[in-house]
Amino acid sequence: MAGQNLKFLVCCANGAGSSLMAQMALEKVLRKYGITAGKVHHCPLSEGKSSAAQYDVIVCAQNFANMFGDAEKKGVKVIPLKNVMSAPEIETKLKESGIID
Amino acid sequence: MIRVGGNGLLREFVEKNHVKFAESAKDWKDAIRMSCETLEADGTVEENYKEEIIACVEKYGPYIVIAPNIAMPHSQEGAHGVHKTEIAFMKLQKPVSFEPGNPEMDAQLFFTLASCNPDQHLDNMSRLSEMLCNEQVVEELAKAETMPDLLKIQEQYLD
Repeated sequence: MAGQNLKFLVCCANGAGSSLMAQMALEKVLRKYGITAGKVHHCPLSEGKSSAAQYDVIVCAQNFANMFGDAEKKGVKVIPLKNVMSAPEIETKLKESGIID
Repeated sequence: MIRVGGNGLLREFVEKNHVKFAESAKDWKDAIRMSCETLEADGTVEENYKEEIIACVEKYGPYIVIAPNIAMPHSQEGAHGVHKTEIAFMKLQKPVSFEPGNPEMDAQLFFTLASCNPDQHLDNMSRLSEMLCNEQVVEELAKAETMPDLLKIQEQYLD
């Protein structure tokens, strides 16, 4: 089954607002698919930019997606969100990128 | 998260007087300053907080527009001049633009965050997220004009 044991990093500017919301939405999707993540962590961009390569998937607001270009080159999947609270959007995008099936 | 007695966020806004209705804002900075007024009034945040939020948006872009029509002004957890962990609500009749030429970044509903207690903040965010995931509530909030309107939405959708 896809998605098991992956490490997710949820990032926003301050690590206290939208990243928390996105983390809650992400956890909802993971529960729905019975996926046990290896790690789900939320943090500010300043921390995320340096630790991104240690994760499998980065979830962030769409305006921050371009900050993870280096991690993406190393194979980290970046999931940009239009609505950080939307579990359906996360679900669709995780499916499109083949992280869940 | 399971809570007995439903999600009382709107009632909490009303009881704490963390509610502001206004016609319009001059620009997004003005809107952020206005959205902090009720938090300043009861000492939740000091006057520097709104300028810190504005500085964050200037640095990172309009990321506080978290969904269409919804802005969540905030700085970081434990920011200087924040004394309580609260959320304040503001509604503008006329949406304000956070990014010229991009109507997707217009906002009318403001949920301004103040946090100095991580656990309480997490609970607040979980309730806010739960409430805003209900599209009917968001639609109704965009029509609300008074505190009693908020209480009606609370009773109808959240209690």
